Amino acid sequence: MAQALPTTAPGRLTTALERIPAPVWVIAFLLLLMPAFANNFVLYQIFGWSFILGMIALSLMVLAGYGGMVSLAQMTVAALAGYVVAILGTSGVPQISLGWPWWIHIPLAILIATLFGTLVGALAVRTEGIYTIMITLAIAAAFFYFTRQNYVIFNGYTGFNNVIPPALFGVEWRQPVPFYYLTLGCATLSYLAVVWMARTPFGLALQGVRDNPRRMGALGFHVTAHRIFAYTFASVIAAVGGILLVWQSAQVVPGTAGIPQVIDILVVAVVGGLRRPIGPFIGALIYAVLSVFSSDILHAFGMSGERFKLVIGLGFLAFVLFSPDGVLGLWEKYKARRAASPDPLLGGGR
Amino acid sequence: MVALTRPATIGADRSAAERLGSVTTGNALELRGVTKLFGALAAISDVTMSVRPGERRAVLGSNGAGKTTLFNCVTGDFLPTSGTIRLFGEDISNFPAHERIRRGLRRTYQISLLFGGMSVADNVYLACLGVSRGRFSLLRPRPSDPIIGRADELIEAVHLTRVRDTLVSSLSYGQQRQLEIALALAGAPRFILFDEPAAGLSPTERAELIDILTGLPDHIGYIIIEHDMDVALRVAESVTMMHNGRVFKEGTPEEIENDEEVQQLYLGGGHG
Amino acid sequence: MGTLQNFSTRHPIWTVIILVLVVGLAWLVFAPWPPGLEQVLGRKRIFLNAILSGITLGALYFLVASGFTLVFGLMRNVNLAHGSLYLLGGYIGFGVVESTGYWLLAFPVVFVVVGVLGLLLQHQVFRRMEGEELRQTLVTIGLSIVLADLMLWYWGGQSYQVYSPDWLSGPMELPIISSLRSNGDPVYLTYPRVRLAILFAAIVIGLAMWYALNRSRLGMLIRAGVDDRDILAASGVHIQYVFLAVFGFGAGMAGIAGIVGGTFQSLSPGEDTRFLLASLVVVIVGGMGSIPGAAIGALIIGLAEQIGLVYAPTYSVVFTFLIMAVVLAFRPQGLLGAQR
Ligand SMILES: Nc1ncnc2c1ncn2[C@@H]1O[C@H](COP(=O)(O)OP(=O)(O)O)[C@@H](O)[C@H]1O
Ligand SMILES: [Mg+2]
Repeated sequence: MAQALPTTAPGRLTTALERIPAPVWVIAFLLLLMPAFANNFVLYQIFGWSFILGMIALSLMVLAGYGGMVSLAQMTVAALAGYVVAILGTSGVPQISLGWPWWIHIPLAILIATLFGTLVGALAVRTEGIYTIMITLAIAAAFFYFTRQNYVIFNGYTGFNNVIPPALFGVEWRQPVPFYYLTLGCATLSYLAVVWMARTPFGLALQGVRDNPRRMGALGFHVTAHRIFAYTFASVIAAVGGILLVWQSAQVVPGTAGIPQVIDILVVAVVGGLRRPIGPFIGALIYAVLSVFSSDILHAFGMSGERFKLVIGLGFLAFVLFSPDGVLGLWEKYKARRAASPDPLLGGGR
Repeated sequence: MVALTRPATIGADRSAAERLGSVTTGNALELRGVTKLFGALAAISDVTMSVRPGERRAVLGSNGAGKTTLFNCVTGDFLPTSGTIRLFGEDISNFPAHERIRRGLRRTYQISLLFGGMSVADNVYLACLGVSRGRFSLLRPRPSDPIIGRADELIEAVHLTRVRDTLVSSLSYGQQRQLEIALALAGAPRFILFDEPAAGLSPTERAELIDILTGLPDHIGYIIIEHDMDVALRVAESVTMMHNGRVFKEGTPEEIENDEEVQQLYLGGGHG
Repeated sequence: MGTLQNFSTRHPIWTVIILVLVVGLAWLVFAPWPPGLEQVLGRKRIFLNAILSGITLGALYFLVASGFTLVFGLMRNVNLAHGSLYLLGGYIGFGVVESTGYWLLAFPVVFVVVGVLGLLLQHQVFRRMEGEELRQTLVTIGLSIVLADLMLWYWGGQSYQVYSPDWLSGPMELPIISSLRSNGDPVYLTYPRVRLAILFAAIVIGLAMWYALNRSRLGMLIRAGVDDRDILAASGVHIQYVFLAVFGFGAGMAGIAGIVGGTFQSLSPGEDTRFLLASLVVVIVGGMGSIPGAAIGALIIGLAEQIGLVYAPTYSVVFTFLIMAVVLAFRPQGLLGAQR
């Protein structure tokens, strides 16, 4: 799946563009023109939110898909970035917020959250495999309880409200259309960054570490360092997602990274598919649509509108039991069945 | 069959190797009282041996004699229970595997340990990357990248150019064994451990392997585990016999071949 | 005993430190405090209460975590629905006590009901994905979401308290001096009887588990399996039966712990996550797959939480977390975990 080495002559920009398949062009145009035919609610609540959720889930996908490490602390990293923005920037809690300008507090938020994510990684990679889930879940819980108890920095139970993006270039970024393009832009950049990373020396080495850590050691790679750096890389994406998330709801509270939210990120990534960077975005879109329309859907089936979590849980179970590769896995199975001569690579690959 | 087209490509970075080598003197590899216990079982016990720089040594011994365990202890796949290991004079007993590799040690595995989901080119590229700078680089390599160049030379040296872009999991057994060797030759190896590289190969492939081994630059020493006496005698200048986790005999191939005890135990015993 | 001797010869410094800590703690508990100490630490009664609450909370954590650690150690299944089984057991226990009035009756009923649920899960779900550790864990996450919502549906959002029987209610006087009256008479510490009973029960259950694991054939198999699963497979026993027994037992223990938790705290949505996390931390600190490890981890975490709550309320969570982080950094396999 990973092809780091150029197999053909150096591709010029035009040939690179020609290689992009037609459906991608269609989707790109649809996404760019979305504000022309979607209403504000769809733009802000469904697409804006999906892009954000997708980014945070993408950071999990990087760790799980390329690194083989399922970390449940990525939502926590995101929330920490949101908290730093609220604390260093402006919010409805002026006693705590420092009101620093955006060009200081946004980079600092990303930096601090990334450092935290790296530290989490450094602790989590001390053990292997299935332990990662336990440790990162425990860390996420500790963060949740800590922010809820600490009033000096995190303003405890109340958290911060009124955390809004700076009016850069005279644009009100929380207006639906600007916010749509802001999140679309960030999501696209993160997606491209991950696709790019997968084919860099680091990305290739990370996949080598996932498949065969012992051999990687015998080739001269510092396996642990690669794993930790994967956390660093993934945490940058989670941090940006977290800042956007806090801007979207204009608030950050302990429950932003409560245990249910932490689990939701895993649900989103698994339902979408952990094998490819597009998976988390598909999962996020499904999740956002379901949660926004859940009460209508449930009523249609004659159930109380409150049973959203039941639907999510059952859907998640169904995927884990019957299609562990998520929606992407279903799609590939479908394609494989349709193809006259099955492509041997589709079924194989990790 | 074909002699190496460009023998100098393997371990091409000679100057680097010599730079490293010049720092130290004495033996390439020196083991003192190395013991490895698995629970109560002593897979190897009190192994002491030394190999000169550039020396080519064969290790013989029946199955379970502890040969692979010896390799694992030397390369740091796991730490020995006791004993010291010196590589070119430096005590590496407690080094992690990658630190040993970066000092010029290489190995192959008895059971191929490859990246089945990647192409041959990517496998060899990883091997070259592991012992060079830029392991954490987030820039994609250009086609003119020297690491890619070195990887391609290695692929050619082990005759895998035809399958350069094939997934490793779909290679034949012999090709996988050849790739296993390529991975051990990356960078500037100074000392290599080959774990039964010839096992299961066809006569042609075996001949190619012998060519590769004999074509290695003189400064590269190695230890090869080999059951086939004929192969061992052609690629090694000294022999160590192991039995039940201990070094049982050491000597030149002729001495070992003519040793009565050895003949009883090993050559005549029909093991192998 | 042999292991203790081993420990003291191999780690003389640690042995001394631990001994000093134990003796110091014993002195703090049993001796009347001089006034200077009261100035630093506050009233002795508060300190004693924190210690006792810590120990009893540790007992509860041990009950929850022991099943979790056994299942994890043997099957490498991180059962993230363990907290849900705890809460379910508590709710069912509450129902049994409400309808029959017999507190003790709730224990066998819940053990069987939740244990059978565990058996079903192992037999119907996890057996089909053996060796796929990550997938099993994902299934348990899905189960915990579903169970949480079903319980919320049926029992609602309010909190329940399981009432202890009369013979266990009220305080009990302990032979520990909490302070001296002005005339020099000692005042003895009192503590809720039911909590002491639970502490006692947890110790008995812990010893029984330890005994069963070390003396019975099944126990030896399980221990061998925790260390090396190939041994189990090679022993000729039907490995599936061992897995079933352990999963059912672990689930049943979680259910019983739910009644205990419902008796001395309360049951409400969210308690499932709380106790799942407690189990995680206990097992990470104590050592994965080890019953004595679970006991020590539970004691440490229970004490840290309660002492933290009394002396540094804002940072009590930080203590728990710091303990976990330090253990992970210096002994990733946990205090009593086997070196992997
Ligand atoms: N990882 C391991 N765990 C337990 N025992 C092992 C392990 N590796 C090797 N052994 C045992 O050590 C002994 C030596 O094995 P090995 O070094 O592979 O022998 P050889 O390579 O000479 O055939 C054998 O008895 C083998 O069963
Ligand atoms: Mg061997």
